[in-house]
Amino acid sequence: MTNLEVNIVVKLPDTPGTLVELISPISDNGGNIYSILHYHDKKINNMIPVEITFDLNEELKDISLEKIQKELFEKNIPIDKITFGAKKRHFVIIITGHVFDTDVLDTIKRLAAKGIKTKELQAKFTELEEVSNVKFKFEVPETIEEKEFIEELKKICEEKNLSLIRA
Amino acid sequence: MDIKICLIGKGNVGTSLIELLKEKSEILNEKFNLNIKMVAIVEYDGALINEDGINLEEVLSKGERFRELPYWKVDSKPTDLYKKLDINICVEATPTNPNTGEPALSHIMEALNNGINVVSSNKGPFYLKYQQIEDLAKNNNLIVKYEASVASVVPALSIADCLIGNQITRIKAILNGTCNYILSRMAAEGITFSKALKEAQELGIAETDPTLDIEGFDAAGKLVILANKLLGWRKTIKDVKIKGISKITPQTIELAKSDGLIIKHLAIVDEDELIVEPRLIERDSPLNISGTLNVMELQTKYAGPIVLMGRGAGGPEAASAILNDLINIVKKRG
Ligand SMILES: NC(=O)c1ccc[n+]([C@@H]2O[C@H](COP(=O)([O-])OP(=O)(O)OC[C@H]3O[C@@H](n4cnc5c(N)ncnc54)[C@H](OP(=O)(O)O)[C@@H]3O)[C@@H](O)[C@H]2O)c1
Repeated sequence: MTNLEVNIVVKLPDTPGTLVELISPISDNGGNIYSILHYHDKKINNMIPVEITFDLNEELKDISLEKIQKELFEKNIPIDKITFGAKKRHFVIIITGHVFDTDVLDTIKRLAAKGIKTKELQAKFTELEEVSNVKFKFEVPETIEEKEFIEELKKICEEKNLSLIRA
Repeated sequence: MDIKICLIGKGNVGTSLIELLKEKSEILNEKFNLNIKMVAIVEYDGALINEDGINLEEVLSKGERFRELPYWKVDSKPTDLYKKLDINICVEATPTNPNTGEPALSHIMEALNNGINVVSSNKGPFYLKYQQIEDLAKNNNLIVKYEASVASVVPALSIADCLIGNQITRIKAILNGTCNYILSRMAAEGITFSKALKEAQELGIAETDPTLDIEGFDAAGKLVILANKLLGWRKTIKDVKIKGISKITPQTIELAKSDGLIIKHLAIVDEDELIVEPRLIERDSPLNISGTLNVMELQTKYAGPIVLMGRGAGGPEAASAILNDLINIVKKRG
């Protein structure tokens, strides 16, 4: 799945409860919010500029944005500025074998050195001698092609005698 | 028009073909002016032979005791019969030796060398010697067809004729019913691989020795034929990167499930690679089929994906694909 980083700047009245009015149209329409900045120093007429950054599924971007804009407008929160950031591709990969015994931190660090971020990790163990099944969610920058990313991962897995299942 | 055929291998598929020909003989005559005469039914130890056409009903009524019929000739070999009986088309339906393709490979090459067209349900010769077989057929101005060898009745190979104006760029497929049954049961019930395999064996879905299926060799053979036929490649089974499903655990499946994903044993043609391995697919993917079904998703240059799905095994299914090939050969030969 590919996500697109979206950055929106609005002005909100400096009164309690207004933030939720901004958040719900975004999260209700598929936005995954990860930062909200209030610029108190730029307050004019009791209105504070607020910058909110979130991810949208790239395929649904146009529909989601249209709905977000409409709902914010209805709530009397006009958008001052929209900017788009980097595209982020997410990959779910399941790796099995002695994933932890073969130094999972080293695996994560080696990928990070290439710009591949491990966003999530979930493990389930089998009864067989510490063999684990680990689901990784990776965020891969646009600059790295899927094939390149898989090759990098395969190289580590081969070295550590792990198997990987990919999409 | 009279067409003389011989059948090699009177097993599950062969017997179904005999039944189908008996059932369809009138329609074939009416619709295509076609009178298919089976002049020989060859087994490993001899053959039933009748130059005027074997009475199919009689053979069927004899069941396993067909060797008692008066026209059973012990030790007759296909090569002895090809010339003597003036055969037009040879139907090959013996089991596959995965390493040599024999005895089918010799049956097919000898038929082609004797000016006989070939229909095969046997995939072995084609994933091992595709180029040699096709070249020989072409040089001798003959037709060789093998629709039943990949996904049985699903028109996995004939689809090429319907997409001449398009271009297939990638293929993702499930080509082994046994593996798909096992993975489907593991996903539905949370059972282990060995339990699902045992269940499949008890139901007659998996063979007593399931190695070729579960280790991906069977699917790899079919994938080679697909890539060669649909994309014009010239590969053999040695070119396929193969991984089986025996190491998949219920835990792996559960982890995938929690993200809306399913593990399937996919056969893939992508860029210049042939791959058979377990892969993650979305739950709502058209490849998410359950049980013993087969499915193929063809990516095309001008029309996006095209999906074919259906039963990939079974005697009557394979027999109907063979009959289709037979009719098409006759049509082409006029
Ligand atoms: N069954 C399916 O659903 C299906 C679907 C598509 C394609 N196919 C392919 O079609 C072929 C036949 O399958 P099947 O299920 O019918 O197998 P089967 O039931 O085992 O039948 C094969 C028959 O060939 C005979 N045979 C063995 N060696 C021979 C030889 N040297 N010369 C002549 N006959 C010989 C066997 O005799 P004995 O049993 O006495 O040894 C048996 O009667 C296989 O290659 C299979 O992969 C099968």
